[in-house]
Amino acid sequence: MNKIIALLNCHNSPELGELTSNRPLASTSFLGRYAFMDFAMSNFTNSGIQNVNVLVKNHQRSLLKHMGNMMSWVNNTKTGRDTIFYNEKGILNPAYNTDINNIKENDWVLYESNASLLVFEAPEIVASIDLRPFIEEHEKRGEKITIVYKEIDDANKEFIGADVLNIDENGYLKDVHKNKGDAKKAKVSLQIWIINRETLVEMINHGNRVDSSWGIAEYLAVIARNDFLGTKIHCVPYTGYARRFDSLAHYVEYSFELLKRKPYEELFKEDWPIFTRTHDTPPAIYGTESDVSNSFVSNGCVVEGTVKDSIICRSVKVKKGAKVQRSIVLSNCVLEENSAVSDVVIDKYSTVAARHKIQGDKDDVIYIKQGAKV
Amino acid sequence: MSTTLAAMILAGGKGTRLQALTKKVAKPAVSYGGKYRIIDFPLSNCAHSGINAVSVLTQYESSELNTYVGNGEKWGLNGVRSVTSVLTPKQTEEGSSWYAGTADAIYENLDWLERVNPKYVLILSGDHIYSCTYNAMLKKHIDMGADCTISVYPVPMEEASRFGILVTDKEDNIVQFVEKPKKPVSNLASMGIYIFTYSVLRDYLIKDHALEDSDHDFGKNIIPTMLKNKKKLVAYTYNGYWKDVGTIASLHQANMDLLLSGDPEINIYTVQGKNKILSEDIHGTPQFIGKTAKVKDSLINQGSIILGEVDHSVISGDVVIEEGAKVTNSVVMNGAFIDNDSVVTDAIIGPNTLIEKGEKVNVEKDGIALVVNEKAGKR
Repeated sequence: MNKIIALLNCHNSPELGELTSNRPLASTSFLGRYAFMDFAMSNFTNSGIQNVNVLVKNHQRSLLKHMGNMMSWVNNTKTGRDTIFYNEKGILNPAYNTDINNIKENDWVLYESNASLLVFEAPEIVASIDLRPFIEEHEKRGEKITIVYKEIDDANKEFIGADVLNIDENGYLKDVHKNKGDAKKAKVSLQIWIINRETLVEMINHGNRVDSSWGIAEYLAVIARNDFLGTKIHCVPYTGYARRFDSLAHYVEYSFELLKRKPYEELFKEDWPIFTRTHDTPPAIYGTESDVSNSFVSNGCVVEGTVKDSIICRSVKVKKGAKVQRSIVLSNCVLEENSAVSDVVIDKYSTVAARHKIQGDKDDVIYIKQGAKV
Repeated sequence: MSTTLAAMILAGGKGTRLQALTKKVAKPAVSYGGKYRIIDFPLSNCAHSGINAVSVLTQYESSELNTYVGNGEKWGLNGVRSVTSVLTPKQTEEGSSWYAGTADAIYENLDWLERVNPKYVLILSGDHIYSCTYNAMLKKHIDMGADCTISVYPVPMEEASRFGILVTDKEDNIVQFVEKPKKPVSNLASMGIYIFTYSVLRDYLIKDHALEDSDHDFGKNIIPTMLKNKKKLVAYTYNGYWKDVGTIASLHQANMDLLLSGDPEINIYTVQGKNKILSEDIHGTPQFIGKTAKVKDSLINQGSIILGEVDHSVISGDVVIEEGAKVTNSVVMNGAFIDNDSVVTDAIIGPNTLIEKGEKVNVEKDGIALVVNEKAGKR
């Protein structure tokens, strides 16, 4: 698949409350051992795409740390590559810090490669999607732009703020609006865009003359409405598991949802490994008094207390008598002896003091910030 | 190029006493501690000692081990100054042969050493479990002007007759070396870890190769000959956790040592010591402990799904323990499937092994049972 340039687009990620105040959603911890970007990146890798790039909007330190030597997702370490796209100018000019401007700033990739297609994914969409059938269909039909969407019937709660697609009888995009949660049924964009290289170059050149604050999403909406550049946008449905992480409440809800076997098996497929950065931590160890059920526990953990209905990230210590319920504990936290937490999200490197109790509410979890001592 | 210290890891042994576990893989590639293979220990030790030139000498059932070692990337031994090689017996102008003994294996690869051109050579065994760096041992070798330094481990006197035993003077000079003595006079056992000054080693290997009645073995031939020739041999005492897992029972015990129960001085973190044991990271899903599960006093790797009961056990990655199954005092290796309502007691369950519904393994607790069947994938 050398004809393809893959781009992980971090420009449109929603915020997950304070969890993303200091890091992009892409490198935010998820389900114990992953960062969000691992899913989209693994879709690229498992689909056989060699040239994988990341469009960084901001907070690049956290992202670079997770990407490490950038070899976690390439199939061949010489012919494949991961490149970081970063728009230096955009940092001082947030209104112009868009995906189009970022690609324009790093447009050597477009000219150096002889790729014919670009495929975009977004880190906030968690799904295991084989991109190959969509790419094949795009090419077979001779389309210039394809969008992959999912038809949902709970749009009043899910995919809030995502693009809702209005599609004509031939499968072409008529119009786009943001999901405000006013209808139950909707065809929501999974932010998988397949765009011919020439079309994207046209978009960059043209868009810059019209309005340089447009991002690709805005531009696609303009194209759909006005039959712009003589281009139609083809829309293709995807029917498997897909979640859009768009708030702290959804972060908690969707994380716990994966404790159920069905969604778990829809996301984690045997032939679709999720690649991530490794840390060489020992397996999780459980003490003689540990009591653990319905939870994800990561390597490096030392669990001597109770863990129920929770997600415990790498290298967390749950000491004797400590109790964790319906909570997400990020890496390197310590729950001292006889402490108790329920319905909380504890960010990295925090400590809950001995005998201290923190009780959140099922519908309103308490967030404890990174490095806190409570 | 030249380097100070090159390491050569002897990993060709069959490990016959590990029975079916080493039928298709060499002993250094046997799984240990939920996520490791035994050879991770010497290779991590080399990495943490800052050694750049490492070769692994393989022979018996070597394809899995050779693939695992690869270019040394799992231990970071693929840096810009690294030379990581897997050395197998080869065809030469003189014909072709298998490695006849530990010393012969090194002799056959003198060309590798010539290319690396080290000042000192570290000879290691690929099937020992211990975490350390070799820097202090090398310093002692240099400071004492030794020709050969042997790492020793104090063993209980009553077990000494199972080992190669060294006798030293007050300055740690080795004055006597006896393989498996009937009446041991010392309890310092050779760990099979040697640092040689390269020029001396080369001399002795070439001379030994010419001897027809030699076993071409370090313990039986090279070391005794050096002693006879009044070369300077020094003992370096190692005091940490060290295990040579020769049997099913000792492999089982070495796994149980990692748990938090039992000796409070020994668990996964004390065995690991200051430095992480570097290893392969499987791309398993997060470890899932189900609603019906009961887990205590165990070590469990990522990628496993636990729906049954696990007590005092070591569970590798990609293992499934189904509802109603009960695993006690056992080692379950990667990819094994323990089906509903089965009972596994005092056992080692091999990689990708299937324990069928309701099956009972060693409930009568007759020693440590070994089950290897590779049926889990074909379920």
